[in-house]
Amino acid sequence: MIEVRGLRVVLPPDTVAVDGVDLLVNAGEFVVILGRSGAGKTTFLRALNRLVEPTAGTIRVAGRAVTGAGRGELREARRRIAVIFQQFNLVRRASVQENVLAGRLGYVRALPSVLGRFPPDDRALALECLAQVGLAHLAERRADTLSGGEQQRVAIARALAQSPDVILADEPTASLDPQLTSSIMDILRRINVERRLTLVVSQHQLETALAYATRIVGFRRGRVGFDGPPSALSPAVIAAIYGDGDAA
Amino acid sequence: MRRALLFVGFLALGWAAWDTGADPVRLARGVPFILDFLWRTIPPDPRVLPSALAGALTTVEIALLGTAVAAVLALPLGFVSARNVAPAPLFYPARTVLNFFRSVDTLVYALVFVAAVGLGPFPGVLAVVAYTTTSLAKLYGEAIEGIEPGPVDAITATGATRLQILRFGVLPQVLPLFLSYVLYRLETNIRAATVLGFVGAGGIGFYLQTYLRMIDYPAASTVLLVTVAMVMIVDGVSSRLRDRLV
Repeated sequence: MIEVRGLRVVLPPDTVAVDGVDLLVNAGEFVVILGRSGAGKTTFLRALNRLVEPTAGTIRVAGRAVTGAGRGELREARRRIAVIFQQFNLVRRASVQENVLAGRLGYVRALPSVLGRFPPDDRALALECLAQVGLAHLAERRADTLSGGEQQRVAIARALAQSPDVILADEPTASLDPQLTSSIMDILRRINVERRLTLVVSQHQLETALAYATRIVGFRRGRVGFDGPPSALSPAVIAAIYGDGDAA
Repeated sequence: MRRALLFVGFLALGWAAWDTGADPVRLARGVPFILDFLWRTIPPDPRVLPSALAGALTTVEIALLGTAVAAVLALPLGFVSARNVAPAPLFYPARTVLNFFRSVDTLVYALVFVAAVGLGPFPGVLAVVAYTTTSLAKLYGEAIEGIEPGPVDAITATGATRLQILRFGVLPQVLPLFLSYVLYRLETNIRAATVLGFVGAGGIGFYLQTYLRMIDYPAASTVLLVTVAMVMIVDGVSSRLRDRLV
């Protein structure tokens, strides 16, 4: 489902954030990327749909080339790769419903959408996605009047509205109270199981990673330091991922 | 370093005072004439009230129409002059051109347009449009540069086109600011439009200048009072609207 080969990302001016990553993710996996902050998890995820431009390497997602894709091809690849952000990244002044509807932007005709006209099917789908995260009753509310946990659920609904093959989530619970972590992660697991969607979720919390992942990829200084099932994660490996012996 | 700057500052001000012939004694000698002028404006002449009101209406129309047209024309210019959304080959020329045209005041534009299309309120409207478009474009551009990148990332990630990203990621963040800038410009344009009549570009300024030239001070004071009332009313309404936006 996701094929990453030799990925290298250098952020200006000269920070090597991702330093030669190879990764194959199969359909239906729930991959948790584990690592300290600054290990390159965020940059790696942002490179997968080219929100950050890779310096070298190739990326294919759901059979489509992401690297080397032209503008139109990139948009087609992007609409099947939904992203959930640490800071939710909702449009604050827009309604909840409009935020979810934004997930359909890659599918609808551009000009009518800019004028605020969306096909009824897309509107219905957006409401359905909102219902799946249990927030149908808040559809008319302005996004910034919701709590953090609710906002992240709206962001998940927006991701679902993209009808994606893959969902990437960058530290989706890091900006929330600890007790909300499991509610968000539970929704992600349900999506993974019920819709057979492939998930790649970055986490810095070990317990959460162990509880939800079918596979754990440990990042350390821009490289993959561990790749295996949660059961194979020994204390020595954990120490290697989190160790600060040679931290930058 | 700071002392040196302070010293240079004082030197510059001192030289400017000398060069402009700024002289407190001369000002003091002038006070009786100011008082005499004020004395002769009393009482205001009510007979010119209708023409003053008509002039005020024209001035408000010039400012309203000019600001509205400029608010729309400035939109594309604002986007191309924002570093974070415009491609570099567009951004740099746009900034330069805007800065060039913005350094010309409304009154100067009015002189140009009166020469081009003749006397009346129309060249006044054109002058307001010319100045306000560039000044709003700069304010728009700066508002766009101040947006949060997060929602833009999120909209980009949905596979949206460039236009959709602007509409759904950028515009909702800046629209209230844009409206607030437009209202602020309307307030300053009302003031700017009061003097447009001095150069033949219509509005209440024409009456003020005429009565002053005729040395009809009571009539001129009526016109001035109407001007003050007009500016205060527009300011009040506009600032109340602005408060509700942000």
